[in-house]
Amino acid sequence: MFGLYQMAFSGLTWGNLLMLLIGGGLIYLGVARKMEPILLVPIGLGIMMVNIPFAGLMVYAPAEPGAIPLPASGGLKEIAEGKIGLLNLLYQYGLESEIIPLLIFLGIGALSDFSPAIARPLSFMFGATAQLGVFVVFLIAYLTGWFTINEAICVGIIGGSDGPPTVYLTVAKAPQLLGPITLVAYSYMALVPILQPPVMRLLTSKKERQIYMKPQMREVSRLEKVIFPIAVFVVSALLVPASAPLIGMLMFGNLLSVTGVTDRLAASAGGLFVDVLTFLLGLTVGALMPAVVFLNPKTLIIIGLAVVAFAFGTAGGIWGAKIANLFLKEKINPLIGAAGVSAIPMAARVAQVQGQKANPRNFLLMHAMGPNMAGAIATSVVAGIFLSMV
Amino acid sequence: MIDWELIAKIAGGGFGSTLLVLAILCIVIWLIGLVVRRRAAKDKK
Repeated sequence: MFGLYQMAFSGLTWGNLLMLLIGGGLIYLGVARKMEPILLVPIGLGIMMVNIPFAGLMVYAPAEPGAIPLPASGGLKEIAEGKIGLLNLLYQYGLESEIIPLLIFLGIGALSDFSPAIARPLSFMFGATAQLGVFVVFLIAYLTGWFTINEAICVGIIGGSDGPPTVYLTVAKAPQLLGPITLVAYSYMALVPILQPPVMRLLTSKKERQIYMKPQMREVSRLEKVIFPIAVFVVSALLVPASAPLIGMLMFGNLLSVTGVTDRLAASAGGLFVDVLTFLLGLTVGALMPAVVFLNPKTLIIIGLAVVAFAFGTAGGIWGAKIANLFLKEKINPLIGAAGVSAIPMAARVAQVQGQKANPRNFLLMHAMGPNMAGAIATSVVAGIFLSMV
Repeated sequence: MIDWELIAKIAGGGFGSTLLVLAILCIVIWLIGLVVRRRAAKDKK
């Protein structure tokens, strides 16, 4: 400006302008359309922050030609020297260290009621079969040749439609894709009511969708609720040790909410605590999307593959329920299997709406919540399996 | 160069392991429910 200092205009590229529009669009969707506002608003703002040249809120380390750059690291000294920005610190200590996704899972655990999964343990199988989308998309992503094995597993886990395991795995295995993968994962979770119904209708007959299930499930005692998180943690940590941080946090949060003596802790973990962490996650993830990182063919492929992941996840859940029906005396409505893709509680609501459309007497919400909750555990198990195998 | 053996191990083995782990969890939770309910019924008697 008047030769006194450098304005941002001189460094602004078309890519930056496009990203500013995308950031604004996400804020619009969050505020006006109420689509995952607690995430899309900070992600949108984070994108805007990192696409203003010379602002220095998130500084990227130089990368080799063709490689996607990663945020520079440092401490307070580097901030003072202008070598990194505030968001670099948030990324380094919050995401790179895996603290934020794990603590968010603690909050989610405190907010979760696993009673429907305890009342019908078969729900666990639908949570497992709904992970089909993860593995199908892993295969497709790797076979396209655009992604390495590490990147392909992170693209695949979008199909689990569970935020914290997706972030946890991607930070560990493909941090250069954390921005687009997290954005796509959370945006698609909000789109579950649009993505799932066509697959549900395609794979089930009207007769199957009409199957009536008694609205009431058996009552779960407090003792069962207290034993559940401990048993799930011990069994899954013994079988897949790498899943222990994720499942440990989820189950710890849940244990706080069911003991009956730690209500204040549960309320804190599931209240402001998780909101602040989610906000910080969103802001930092947004800051991982400067034009040079986001405007990349890989991002477009990830957006396309995520649709495939959700479709196969939904199909896996439905097929799981159909297979179970071959052996069950009292048939279950296969739509509840589709809720195994997680996306709590959106996928369960979709099953409820579709079930009621086919048979107005049906009230499937609580039945669908079982696979829905089991899906969160299944995605954490998958993340642990990927971490152990790759 | 695609490492077919590795991707078969990850996709097939990974999905199989997920099914197995969740099946074990399903059985464990069912057993716990059974024991707790039987004990409660016994206490009631």
